[in-house]
Amino acid sequence: MITKQLINQIEGEATISFDIKDGVVDFATIAFPHFRGIESILKRKDALDALVITPRVCGICGHAHLMATVRAIEDAYKNAGYRVELSKKVEIIREFTLVMEIIQNHFKWIYLTIIPEISKLIKPNQKQTPLKGAYAASIASKAIAIFAGQWPHSSYMIPGGITTDPTNVDILKVESYVDELINFFEKESIGISLETFLSFKSNKNFGGLKSDISFLENNLMNLNMDKKGFAHDRFLVLGKHTFSKPLKIEQTYPTSSDVKYVNITEAYSLNQVSYAKNAQYGDIFYEAGPLSRTISNNLPIVKNIYRRSKDSAYTRVMSRIFELATLLQHAKNLLSKIDISQKSYTQCMDISKITAKGIGVVEAPRGPLLHLTDIKDGVIQEYKIVTPTQFNIGSSTKENPTPVQQAMRGTTKEEALFIFRTFDVCSVCTTH
Amino acid sequence: MHSKQDKKPSIIWFQGLTCNGNTHSFLNLENLEKLLDKFELLSHPTLPSTQDFKTITDCTLICDIFIFEGTYDPLMKRNNVLVSNIIEHYSKYAKYIIAAGSCASFGGIFRSSAPQRNSGILFVEQEKSGPLLSYERKVINISGCPLHPQWLSYTLNMIEKGNNIEIDSLHRPIELYSNLAHHGCTKNEYFEWKVDTENFGEKEGCLFYKQGCRAPMTHASCNKILWNEVSSKTRVGTPCFGCTEPNFPRSNLFSTKTNMSIPEDVPLGVPKRNYLTITGIAKTFHIKRLEGKLIDYKTTD
Repeated sequence: MITKQLINQIEGEATISFDIKDGVVDFATIAFPHFRGIESILKRKDALDALVITPRVCGICGHAHLMATVRAIEDAYKNAGYRVELSKKVEIIREFTLVMEIIQNHFKWIYLTIIPEISKLIKPNQKQTPLKGAYAASIASKAIAIFAGQWPHSSYMIPGGITTDPTNVDILKVESYVDELINFFEKESIGISLETFLSFKSNKNFGGLKSDISFLENNLMNLNMDKKGFAHDRFLVLGKHTFSKPLKIEQTYPTSSDVKYVNITEAYSLNQVSYAKNAQYGDIFYEAGPLSRTISNNLPIVKNIYRRSKDSAYTRVMSRIFELATLLQHAKNLLSKIDISQKSYTQCMDISKITAKGIGVVEAPRGPLLHLTDIKDGVIQEYKIVTPTQFNIGSSTKENPTPVQQAMRGTTKEEALFIFRTFDVCSVCTTH
Repeated sequence: MHSKQDKKPSIIWFQGLTCNGNTHSFLNLENLEKLLDKFELLSHPTLPSTQDFKTITDCTLICDIFIFEGTYDPLMKRNNVLVSNIIEHYSKYAKYIIAAGSCASFGGIFRSSAPQRNSGILFVEQEKSGPLLSYERKVINISGCPLHPQWLSYTLNMIEKGNNIEIDSLHRPIELYSNLAHHGCTKNEYFEWKVDTENFGEKEGCLFYKQGCRAPMTHASCNKILWNEVSSKTRVGTPCFGCTEPNFPRSNLFSTKTNMSIPEDVPLGVPKRNYLTITGIAKTFHIKRLEGKLIDYKTTD
């Protein structure tokens, strides 16, 4: 029997068509109905205008889009034979604001998505405190805004650098926001120190804790989510950052990955209109995002959970929480390395002299984000965007399912709806 | 006045073609909880609300304040119901209709993907010819890409208190949009003496003359009510792109169109000839303090 389910309160809207046999999901397809045409809006625009337009692809990860654009344009400069010099300071500040955007995303996902969703499956409900997520995200946004002017929708990264020239007054302010976030995470989310949390050897360390995250962990276990929601056991990271390296991992065996093998195919959905396309590596579906990043980084606690529970819904949720913890520490570390005396911007050749193609790849909160641009005399001829949700939440055939389609198989519809959310869906990005 | 015994005003926040940017900007509001306590949230894209989405698209209830986010596309459906039917229903019964952000106000970025049909809910750019024309007296535009959370919170608080909100000809609250984005810019002194910045990434110099800054022509209080309580675009050396105005997004956003090295668009309301004269004079001054670096860090490069 086919049943359709509308999914809202994600970033945008989606529908899932479930084919239920003997009470469990035999197959499901996903459709994203809304299309905004950002790629066509960018055509014939001045290449630098993309720095203002593409952050508007997405209200929750627009900063990742900004960084993908600036990397794509800088790549076009290099391909056209012109140098782009970036000081260490520029690289660190760009990286810092990107990391803070991932942090705000993960806080919102924990408190506004995953805890409310798990509460639908379990009695008694886990206490819901969605505004905690909004509060933590707003602190992360303040830290971004000191450098970027505002969040969402900043355009402070430009080819050759950043527009801002911060002072120590700014750096100290940002440091205090990061400390406030760490303090919030320790007190409100995990109930122990960040250091202790990151030194966890296995999930047994959650024993005896009473905190938002330990309740969540416990509920996941009670729902047997460590035995459900398995995708393909294949992981992909494409963005090169201080917190990630381009790798693909199959059967725990890592090899380097290259964006040139990313392949876009048409989505398949049962009697539904969808504007989404699927993203594959070669002709294979890989899971992308925090689980892939933490495994490729050999984060001991996630590796340990993965050894027992593979790429289950449990591992997927916990990897995201541990990624959040490592990134909080990493953000602090990045800040300590900023040398404000370095240049914020080094002038590049006038954009009107540039005729070349460029690719920008970053790790957005949900995984790899690709921007591909073709520039002629400084004007955009073609602009293509591939988003993380296209890797994870594509819709393919029963024979060759996408990670989310595989993960929902064999579970009840209610469980499948929860598992769907463990991937952190961004519909607006997908149908840019 | 709204007394304690009264029912809290109800809100439905509904989305057309959007990036969710206004939703996420609103979540940054300080004291969000206190504001939300004053209202009954029937539906919201991310916050917990009392009604499920199907009930909203079935149009079987009504609300006091209808907030619409995103560009209006007459062909768009939510949960298989035409958005045009949904907004007609809620607008008819609502006391106030708020266009959240520039897309809902004027069409914004996503108008350009189908300019022949996409628009704001009351305006098509600066022309008042959108689908809610018959309810125009109820419509308040909180333009901005995204909107500033405090601008929306001001509007909701004013409504809750029963206060009158004065609006301009583009239906934006005057108390928020009578300012120009230029007011309070930390680079004002450079603007006054016409000292432009050669490059991005510098504390010194004004972005109006070369880098495309629209702040002297843009109605917005960005430098008065700071973003995320801490900063603004121009304070971090990014030009204002004029995102609160009906013609956003313009083109060539990072460069100023000039005529004989004077910006073609001059500050709002200033006669062009007078502006040229004063600029010409100011440019002959040499103010050493404004030509040098504000801070000279010992370089370790």
